Amino acid sequence: MRKSTVVWTMLLVLLLSVSAFAQDRLVVWVGGHVVEQEDTWNKIIKDFSAATGIDVEYRLIGFDVYYDTLVTAFSAGRGPDVTFADLGGWAPTFAAQGWIESLEDRLATADVTEQIWPNLWPTVTYQGERYGLPWYTDCRVLMYNKIMFEEAGLDPDVPPVTWDELLEYAKILTDPAKMQYGYGVSGKRSEVATLGYMIFLHGAGGELLTEDYSKAAFNTPEGLSALKFYTELHTTHKVSPPATPSYGEDDFRSMMAQNRVAMAISGPWAFPLIEMANPDIKGNYAVAIHPYSAEPASVLGGWASVVSSSSTKKEEAWKFIDYITSYDVWRMWLERHGGPMPSRMDVSFDAPEFDDPKWEVILEAFPYAKVRPPVPEWPEISDRIQNMVQNVITGQVSAEDAIAEAEKEINTILGH
Amino acid sequence: MKDLRGDYRRNSFAYRMLIPYLILLALLVVYPIITNFVVSFQQDNNWSLANWRYLFANPDFSKIGFNTLIWTVGSVTLQLLLGCFVALLLNQEFRGRAFFRAIILVLPWATPDIVVAVAWQWMYNDMYGVINDVLFKLGLIDYYLPWLAEPTLAKIAVIVANTWKGFALSAMFYLAALQTVPYELHEAAVVDGAGVFRRFTSVTWPILKPHVITTTMLTTIWTINYFPLIFTMTGGGPANATDTFVTYAYRQGFRFLEFGRSASMSSLTFGIILLISLLYMTVLLRREAE
Repeated sequence: MRKSTVVWTMLLVLLLSVSAFAQDRLVVWVGGHVVEQEDTWNKIIKDFSAATGIDVEYRLIGFDVYYDTLVTAFSAGRGPDVTFADLGGWAPTFAAQGWIESLEDRLATADVTEQIWPNLWPTVTYQGERYGLPWYTDCRVLMYNKIMFEEAGLDPDVPPVTWDELLEYAKILTDPAKMQYGYGVSGKRSEVATLGYMIFLHGAGGELLTEDYSKAAFNTPEGLSALKFYTELHTTHKVSPPATPSYGEDDFRSMMAQNRVAMAISGPWAFPLIEMANPDIKGNYAVAIHPYSAEPASVLGGWASVVSSSSTKKEEAWKFIDYITSYDVWRMWLERHGGPMPSRMDVSFDAPEFDDPKWEVILEAFPYAKVRPPVPEWPEISDRIQNMVQNVITGQVSAEDAIAEAEKEINTILGH
Repeated sequence: MKDLRGDYRRNSFAYRMLIPYLILLALLVVYPIITNFVVSFQQDNNWSLANWRYLFANPDFSKIGFNTLIWTVGSVTLQLLLGCFVALLLNQEFRGRAFFRAIILVLPWATPDIVVAVAWQWMYNDMYGVINDVLFKLGLIDYYLPWLAEPTLAKIAVIVANTWKGFALSAMFYLAALQTVPYELHEAAVVDGAGVFRRFTSVTWPILKPHVITTTMLTTIWTINYFPLIFTMTGGGPANATDTFVTYAYRQGFRFLEFGRSASMSSLTFGIILLISLLYMTVLLRREAE
């Protein structure tokens, strides 16, 4: 008798604690660059609660596990009220699964809408409706090591502009005996290989998909020249380190900090990271618009706030994302961290923090920045591009065959 | 029947103690397996063979199957040989034996998968890695090898790392078996003039043999299923060279959100493992009967 009483009491306590857990709080999951930002998040949330009386429970999640964590939570129907979607196609992917809420009606009347960089909207659009409010953004540019330029006899204030110059510089900067390489080709099986190819593709005047995102459009002379140039930097010219098929942007950034790789694709998020890797690099690296053959090109990235469809606090959720995207909160971010680049144009142009040659390049490159095709099939399409790059870069398949194969596969994924 | 009922009455307490375990097993193992199987036959909530057709029609399927085979056979063979060898060494009488047993047998096995994967990733690093450094200084290679960037080297690299991670458990099983060999048997063999090799084939091996069979089967099952090491080290690359059944199933499910396709691949893997397990149980039961 007493035993069963104990069991029932325990069950009751368990139930109560579970429901206490699911009490009246807005649940927010923040993913991506989080390490140095925890204090700032704490302050934002405290200020928000004080101003609105809404209790917020938040979690910071590292980028490596963020996507998996979200997929697991959403597919179990237990997504957070507010979370962040990578501008690389997460919002349409989640929207297609019915996991996140359309914000179209709210955005139509909100003040914040007209301040967002217009080229960000396609990244959160699915079937004509907007599912996210872009929060911060960035674009990819060429980052280079000025010390290595000087040692090789190149003018560190005159970075390469065309592909020909890029190759010429890279050859001069490469010295395998000293384990120094001119240009880092992202060949790793990861999104960075797709991004690398896209920058060369757009720089050659090509497009990944047709304008309505219904078919592959990169199997063209421009697309092929981009694939060949990008991979031959490693296979023929050997200006990228030998283990290129296992390296990505992050690896090259660390190597650049150690004066081992002179040039690589990077972006504004990397400024604090490269200085953390080697404090002496401060002032000894610079950025420029990435070299191109036909037109300047960049690919944009960043994060958008999204609201889960299963949320019971959609009103509060909107208030929260509207708050964190406000002018004042962004000013605080920039004062505290000097970055990243806000999704708001007014803050970007006003910021005294961006009165810096590196940030001027970022703002100059941004209008050229293309989006990754915002289709729900993007992760699979990107995987096929990565596979194409890897097959060519490891010498398994010729560029012509690989690009034809990838075109066929991507058309199949898109339903042709 | 009567016998069964009598058996139940005698052991009713034991049977009842098994119930919570059986319930948990049904909830945590049987239910997901069945759900997984059902999902693999569904597309957009309708019954369909599309996922299975996609799986077998996929041009990469044979490559992934071949990779899985190489990865499993390679890892299991090396773990068997190294495990056996280390167990024989650690069975010798020498000073500090307990210490070495603890270090060699527990360390690789107890180190978390991700830590092992990242550590090996650094050891294989082409520019800073210790493996290239050592091989170069020994004069075995003339230039640094891109271990994880070249398809064949990457296959070898992940198998070697997995061998290190897994041999300790095999060695532990073999050592346990070796300790059942009475010392007198060895002594008698020495008196009869048997050499080291003869002692191994006639005294040690007959006792070790059944353990080798069961351990091999267990490690095979674990290796086919083993995901974190390979995924952290290579992500299935370069050019699919280390893509196995499990990394493929993961990508379909968690990257592309194609849960049906992921389910068909994991059901197939489950089927293969089930076959090996049945084989294992037959061997085990037959031995018990002997």
